Amino acid sequence: MNGVRTIFGREIASYFTSLFAYLIAAAVLLITGILFINNIGRSQDQVAPNPAAIPDFFAFALIFFAPLLTMRLLAEERREGTLELLLTSPTSDSSIVIGKFAGAWAYYTIILAITFVYQVILLNISQGQTDLAHALCAYIGIWLYGGACLAVGMVFSAATDNQIVAAFLASAALFLLWIGDRVGEVIPNINVARFIRELTLQSHYASSFAVGLLRAEDIVFFAGIIAVMLFITIRLVESNRWR
Amino acid sequence: MKPNDTITITRSRVGKFGSFVGGVALLVGILALLWTGISTLSLISIALAAVGIAAWAIFAPKDFSGFITGRQARQSLTAFFSTLILIGIVAMAFLYVRERVITFDMTQSSAFTLSRETLDVLRRLARPVQITGFYTSRSLAAREIDDQFFRLYESASNDLITRRYLDPDEVPALAQRFGVIQDGDLFVSYLSEDGTADPNALSRVFRSGRQERDMTEAIMRLLIAGSVTVYFDESHGTRGALDGTQVGLSGIHNGMQESGLVTAGLNVTSIADTGGDIPIDARAVILPRPLVDFTEGEVSVLDRYLQRGGALFIMTDVVFTQDAFLRETGVLNNYLWSNYGLRALDAAVVDPGASTETPLDILSYAVVSNTVTPRLDPSTAPAVFSLARALEVSSSSPRPSVANGRFIMTSELGFAERNLELLGSTNTYVFDDGIDTPGPITVAAWAEDLETGARIVLIGDSDFASNGQVVLSNGNGILITDAITWLTSIDDEVTFAPVTTGIGLPLVAMDDASAQILTFTVVVLIPLSVLIIGIAIWARRSRA
Amino acid sequence: MIEVKDLSKRYGDRLAVNAISFKAQPGEIVGLLGPNGAGKTTTMRMLTGFMPPTSGSAAIGGFDVVEDSFEARSRVGYLPERVPLYPDMTTEGYVTFWAKLRGVRQPAQAARAVLERLHLDDRSKTLVRNLSKGMRQRLGLAQALVHNPPVIILDEPTIGIDPQQVIEVRETIAALRQSHTVLISTHILSEAEQICDRVIIINQGKIVAQGKPGDLRKKLNAANLESVFLQMVNKDKRA
Ligand SMILES: Nc1ncnc2c1ncn2[C@@H]1O[C@H](COP(=O)(O)OP(=O)(O)O)[C@@H](O)[C@H]1O
Ligand SMILES: [Mg+2]
Repeated sequence: MNGVRTIFGREIASYFTSLFAYLIAAAVLLITGILFINNIGRSQDQVAPNPAAIPDFFAFALIFFAPLLTMRLLAEERREGTLELLLTSPTSDSSIVIGKFAGAWAYYTIILAITFVYQVILLNISQGQTDLAHALCAYIGIWLYGGACLAVGMVFSAATDNQIVAAFLASAALFLLWIGDRVGEVIPNINVARFIRELTLQSHYASSFAVGLLRAEDIVFFAGIIAVMLFITIRLVESNRWR
Repeated sequence: MKPNDTITITRSRVGKFGSFVGGVALLVGILALLWTGISTLSLISIALAAVGIAAWAIFAPKDFSGFITGRQARQSLTAFFSTLILIGIVAMAFLYVRERVITFDMTQSSAFTLSRETLDVLRRLARPVQITGFYTSRSLAAREIDDQFFRLYESASNDLITRRYLDPDEVPALAQRFGVIQDGDLFVSYLSEDGTADPNALSRVFRSGRQERDMTEAIMRLLIAGSVTVYFDESHGTRGALDGTQVGLSGIHNGMQESGLVTAGLNVTSIADTGGDIPIDARAVILPRPLVDFTEGEVSVLDRYLQRGGALFIMTDVVFTQDAFLRETGVLNNYLWSNYGLRALDAAVVDPGASTETPLDILSYAVVSNTVTPRLDPSTAPAVFSLARALEVSSSSPRPSVANGRFIMTSELGFAERNLELLGSTNTYVFDDGIDTPGPITVAAWAEDLETGARIVLIGDSDFASNGQVVLSNGNGILITDAITWLTSIDDEVTFAPVTTGIGLPLVAMDDASAQILTFTVVVLIPLSVLIIGIAIWARRSRA
Repeated sequence: MIEVKDLSKRYGDRLAVNAISFKAQPGEIVGLLGPNGAGKTTTMRMLTGFMPPTSGSAAIGGFDVVEDSFEARSRVGYLPERVPLYPDMTTEGYVTFWAKLRGVRQPAQAARAVLERLHLDDRSKTLVRNLSKGMRQRLGLAQALVHNPPVIILDEPTIGIDPQQVIEVRETIAALRQSHTVLISTHILSEAEQICDRVIIINQGKIVAQGKPGDLRKKLNAANLESVFLQMVNKDKRA
């Protein structure tokens, strides 16, 4: 636990002091800002603004955003040689992985939290009529979704030495986990299609959280994905000791 | 060859074979477990895996222990299997929680919460009901969204409602039996003993975009089905309920069936002859324009029926014969007048003030606010009657427990033409002062005995209900449906207020100036300030 | 304190470390001397639990580095050959981080103390990326010492720094004698001779000689370690 806290603290501090992190945050805020303005622009044409518009965007953007965050987590430590010190310190491998994951997730959470400002603005300009609870539900969903994407990204960061390869593979995997929601359009056997779809991240967000329905099973799903992915990452890091 | 050697070779071979079988079976078993849960396949595979691995350990112990004690093999196997076990635990937890359907509706409009009305309907379910959905794999996403809605029904009904999805491409014959028209068609039906959907008690879910209302209404229809039977009198030369011609009543008959009502034929004459009674399950009896009048015996059959709370829907036409049904001085007319304060007059309704082709084709000019037909609105969809019969409602109630009233009338210009002979032979109608009754003339009336629960609707026309006429005006259909709903009192069992969606969602109204400020803040100010903070921190630190 | 028995490491076909055995007593400074590619780094990596031996065993303070890896690791301070640094941290933040990670009670204080000891205290707020090569080497040493471990393993700690700093680093290491067990690798003979109580010469993964610097010289009838070393290497080549 001490190890998790220490590594988490270092990660967070490194996000707050790295220009790269601010650049990404600014880019995300710019894009979501444009989206938000568009969304209320449309609502002046008598269409109510979609409370889940920003989270919906994240569901897609995470395909690129999450690997960008996670690719460096372990690969950079390996490159700088600090992984050797981490692994020879009296810290468990799980502390290292969980601490780093928690740091990345916290950074993502902060960016997500900033975009919640839009909902508050909407609440003001719509005379308090925004479906804030629905928006909150979508945000909870996309927060978990993001955690799962980061966990998937970490597996690839641990599995490959090369950052670019790690990012590329993670992107490809996340793309499949996103587009797989529509697997039924290509696979005629509905049971197979349904099984595959059930494994995708998007299917546990788009038809529940995004429409304002909080389902325990989706929370279990995302928590499970995070747990399994972190477990695999830990095993991969650990394999350095016996390979 | 020493036998010993042979045995050794065999043993190690068995061991190798066991390791191979065990490994493959274990993989299959785990996959099957994840895919289908605990099933025959997964159990058999896992059992096979256990046998295989045991054979390996017994027949080739060295090989086995070497395999499991080698550090790399041991570690990678541990890592692999512990991952599989974790995946299995997660999958089980997921499936368990999914079965429980724990949801929390966070929308302001409660879009995912079953209304009290739906819950009331579900509480009345006594038999297993199945929701059958026909979706192709192309509409899988739609199916999943629908499904989480149907799941609410499943859990709210304590699993009395189950869901089943079929691919119409895979089971075309079954889809046809259900009457599937398009991808995504839904049906509600009782489950028969053998666990299949009972096609005889089927209720189509009419999709209007309001999921809950559509589904609950379908279930409602199913609930009513079988419990509410409406009889059509088939004696006295009535209009045929199954007659599909212009003058027949097959249209309303089939409509009633689609609404879940059971319909049946009834012969009042033979019941009277045998001294019997109208069946006990009759929620309403329809007398669709008998041609000859009822006898004393037949009237007492109807009386006994009304005494036990029955409901009568009487349609009568202008008939020019002496023994015409419900003639003014007949037994039935007298009975109705003295007991319920309703009667038909031997007079035809003429309404120069509100009619279509001739003043005999009258429109429901005035509809008094009433409980029988709350939806009939003559200004938008009037009911149309051709050659209607004038009715009369007593000004004071014949019995204390009886309430009655008229609900459709002609205009002030209308009158009741008494001279039917002239009308019948020359088709002329003139208002004769002192003989003809001045308007407004009653065309439809109702009566109710609050003590016994008996209800009567009397309408001075039957053409309006015929196949040829119901298509002419929506008002006709509304009048029939409402009257039957009132008579059978199915509306008392089901009061359904739909969930309102889309209410309270904000529409933003902003003037240009504040819109520009907002755009600037969101698109420029926020990202830029994050960037500036970042650069400032970075610049300060890099000098350190 | 350090006990190595028949330790081997194979990279594919290549036997990088070949059944070496040695011991280091508490308070002793032991030098691992050998040319590049001799297997020094590989040996140290096995001792610190970074990679597993192919065969044989090693123990730190009585704890096997594979079976009781955690216990063994918690008794070691390690400076890898290439100093592992976080360029974006401050000097003090860097040392404090490792102190915390290794469970030091008062990490900030311990960090300040070790920085002072290594004459880095005036640079405590400097970013690691702005440090000179020599300072980075000392910073690496600082993280290996900050938790005051009984065993200190230093992989070529004086490589690539200027002579003045080499002397400082050697003095620092020499000062660890008595209180710590130090295993130091080097390919510079004079360095080993100067600071080590005992020298183990390895070549191509095998121990070719070991003993006190003076004894070794006497036994092999050589003027200095330089010639001992050359003798070994040449003998190996001829074989
Ligand atoms: N990760 C590795 N994979 C393959 N060979 C390696 C690896 N690390 C070191 N070696 C080889 O093992 C031998 C010993 O290397 P090393 O222990 O680094 O020597 P030293 O530290 O004494 O210079 C060298 O020949 C080197 O090429
Ligand atoms: Mg080396």
